[in-house]
Amino acid sequence: MSEQERPSGEESAAQAEQPAPRPHRGPPIETADETLSERGEATAKRLAAALGADAVAAGGRGETPWARVEPSALERTLRRCRDDDALRFDMLHCLLAVDYVERIELDYVLASVAHNRKAIIKVDLPPDAPSAPTATHLWQAAAWYEREAHDLFGVVFDGNDDLAPLLLFEGFEGRPGLKSFPLHEYEEY
Amino acid sequence: MIDVRDVLYVAVGLFALFNGLMVVTLSLVWLERKFLGRLQGRVGPTRVGPFGLLQAVADAVKLLMKEDVSPGPAARVIFYAAPLLVFVPGFVVWLTIPFARDLAVRNLELGIFFFIAFSVLSIVGLVLAGWSSASKYAALGGFRSAAQLVSYEIPIIMTLLAVVVVAGTMNIAEVVEAQASAPYAALLPLAAAVFLLAGIAEVGRTPFDIYFAESEVVGGPFVEYSGAHWAVFFLAEYVNTFVIAALMALLFLGGWRWPFGADLPPAAGVALVLAKTYAVVLVIFWLRATYPRLRIDQLMSLGWKALIPLSFAAVLIAAAQQFYGWPVWSLTVLSVAILAVPAVLQVRLQRQPAMERARRYARRAIAERARGTGEAVR
Amino acid sequence: MEGTAAPMSAEPQTGVVDMMLNMGPQHPATHGVFRMVLSIDGERVVGVRPHIGYLHRGSEKLSEHESYGQVITLFDRLDYVSNLNNELVFARAAEELMGVEAPERAQYIRTILCELNRVASHLLFIGTYALDVGAMTPVMYTFRERERVQNLFEHVTGARMMHNYFRIGGVKEDVPGDFAERVRSVVRHLREGVEETDRLLTFNEVYLARTRGVGVISAADAVSCGLTGPCLRGSGVAYDVRKAYPYEVYDRLEFDVPVGEFGDCWDRYWVRLQECYESLRMTEQALEQMPDGLVMAPGRRIARPPKGEAYAHAENPRGDIGVFLVSDGTDKPYRVKVRPPSFCNLVGLERMMDGAYVADAVAILGSLDIVLGEVDR
Repeated sequence: MSEQERPSGEESAAQAEQPAPRPHRGPPIETADETLSERGEATAKRLAAALGADAVAAGGRGETPWARVEPSALERTLRRCRDDDALRFDMLHCLLAVDYVERIELDYVLASVAHNRKAIIKVDLPPDAPSAPTATHLWQAAAWYEREAHDLFGVVFDGNDDLAPLLLFEGFEGRPGLKSFPLHEYEEY
Repeated sequence: MIDVRDVLYVAVGLFALFNGLMVVTLSLVWLERKFLGRLQGRVGPTRVGPFGLLQAVADAVKLLMKEDVSPGPAARVIFYAAPLLVFVPGFVVWLTIPFARDLAVRNLELGIFFFIAFSVLSIVGLVLAGWSSASKYAALGGFRSAAQLVSYEIPIIMTLLAVVVVAGTMNIAEVVEAQASAPYAALLPLAAAVFLLAGIAEVGRTPFDIYFAESEVVGGPFVEYSGAHWAVFFLAEYVNTFVIAALMALLFLGGWRWPFGADLPPAAGVALVLAKTYAVVLVIFWLRATYPRLRIDQLMSLGWKALIPLSFAAVLIAAAQQFYGWPVWSLTVLSVAILAVPAVLQVRLQRQPAMERARRYARRAIAERARGTGEAVR
Repeated sequence: MEGTAAPMSAEPQTGVVDMMLNMGPQHPATHGVFRMVLSIDGERVVGVRPHIGYLHRGSEKLSEHESYGQVITLFDRLDYVSNLNNELVFARAAEELMGVEAPERAQYIRTILCELNRVASHLLFIGTYALDVGAMTPVMYTFRERERVQNLFEHVTGARMMHNYFRIGGVKEDVPGDFAERVRSVVRHLREGVEETDRLLTFNEVYLARTRGVGVISAADAVSCGLTGPCLRGSGVAYDVRKAYPYEVYDRLEFDVPVGEFGDCWDRYWVRLQECYESLRMTEQALEQMPDGLVMAPGRRIARPPKGEAYAHAENPRGDIGVFLVSDGTDKPYRVKVRPPSFCNLVGLERMMDGAYVADAVAILGSLDIVLGEVDR
């Protein structure tokens, strides 16, 4: 443990006991020599290499590239993203649904604490019966995100047997996240 | 043969005592708020009366005027009897606590025994309050209070026993008279320290305010009480605090006898006792401002692993000194010798770098958790 | 053990039945309207089921019906003790979508205010957390210090809490003339105030006993549960958005990322405490470097980003707050999704409760420092 000095004016006896901030103990931070958008481009390349033909479309801006996959390929894509050495997306940063009326899009925002990279995996679901495989076995964080998406958008996650209402109360009718749900014109009780 | 004057004396004494205790309680409430305020960089109450002196009165009036609510499924009779079961013992022990040589309602020969017998009773009230409220928080608090008070009753009794052995009497006034040359805090520092700690735990003040922990069980046994009934609990807490402080002042700090000797006028003696009592009370308040609350298992292990053995040691020292007729200073020497062991350990711990100390705590707690200790709480 | 869930059997039920303890939504230690149902066996917690949503106001849905500028006011009300950090992340998402960048001076102002906001938020945490474990004094000290920050914010933004000061492309208006002077004075006082609390609480024996080794979560679990901010760093992972994906002017400031060792409650507290010192350090540096100039990017006053989507995130006092913004080319966002750090941190609650006592449950929940406005949105 290095003896860094915490910056402070006076040094009293009690303060001298104050420990220095512990040094960085995590994975290397890849920020030294590249800008964020360069890092994003590199991530996009790694993502394309890892997904191969599963990626039906790709794009992105800044440090966050994205790739679109078919629902059937979602499970193996996510697993690959998590386990691939070049990607190592060990954190499900965010999972969200967007209602485009003709389709419901799920976005898995993945983050790699190990490599400091981010990417978004997109998947389109049919709006009438949106359903996707669960990701709870890959990331524990998925549990609540999936409940939330089920609450607000009605997305069913196969394999997640705990889709009880999270943000809404039990017995709430309708999917308030959908564009078809009115903002004001409904009876709350 | 009952003497009418005697009965009259007791009646007047009780009346005076009751009203005196009310005033004391109100003063303690004010003192606590003001003192804590000063410790915490605030000013405390200032608006009601001069220096906020009437704040406590205003609080009491507010409480009495509040609606008295009881939960539907509560066992009504016990629910309303429980506050009395807590308050009455705290009040009754004052019968025998003297403020000066002859200033007590009854100077009982078995005064200390009387105190022990009645102070144990308040456990019953707390458990019944917790149980009859038909609330899980109250029940949890009631169980906690039972565990805590039963455990801490033992060190209190044992340390009082040490005092009794040395003084050779259970009459509190005579115990005070016996401290003419030196207070028992000097002769029996071990017993005094254990008594103060166990006493604070007994009345449930921080860091031992576990059974009514506001942030855990939301007031514990008192959670469902309101208005006047809650006020009675509140009153009991302060009266009990004052009892512990007064016993500390009388039994260990020399009461009216030390340091000014016997020729002190009675009024000055009372003032001396009260000053010592309030000083102890301030220490109790000071602890409250400094420390967080212990956890129930830590409280239990402190009680059973530290305070009870130490209190037994205190009795043994006192008994050995009396039995073998050792000189009086040997009491102090032996007590200090025993106290030195934890003190040295503590000093060694404190001399470590703070971060290293914090690490030790973590390693020990994680190891304990891995072993699954703490099951005794079940 | 599982008396409540035991199937009907011929044998009479004589076993021990766990007690269900409903903690919240009205409980002094649940910091708002969080509710958890604890299964307890004596004083041991054997199961926990968190329930949220009591404060769900549909902020994301509401945002779809407000213009970009108005959404900022909704973000103020998400995490109501670190408003400016919330405003910042939305402003940054919209800026990314529109391809504008705030002028340098505005970036410095935003950084300084966000760091002071972080200190204020951490001070609130330290005070209330001490209250959770039963110490009543630190909360007085920290609120006193927090008040200095609030007064400064009132001076700069006109409001103590719901500031609505950051704009897409800058800040509402330039800071008052005595800004630098007042910030310096606030920083000096804050440093003393934080140290005062530090000395009282950090290595307090009882405090160590109550928080060390309690609510331990391993680094791997913490990452998998999506913990961020001090909760993740307490487990020893030095992930900080300000370092990992520098935004605003953080790449020009020198600061350390304090990390914990065991991932227990005390480490999470300690990380926040050290972050207070780091934030004050950053504030001073930023104040030194702050240039003159515009505080608002020139351009149209009404934001109408082109079609597209953007994901921006920033280091909030509670963790990594993210905003996913979809634009359909109108002046109102098509979809706004907030990644609320408190919400994600709560996912780790069940892991941390392993083997805890009832009293620990309070300490663990407190150490996560949740703000329900943001959990429920």
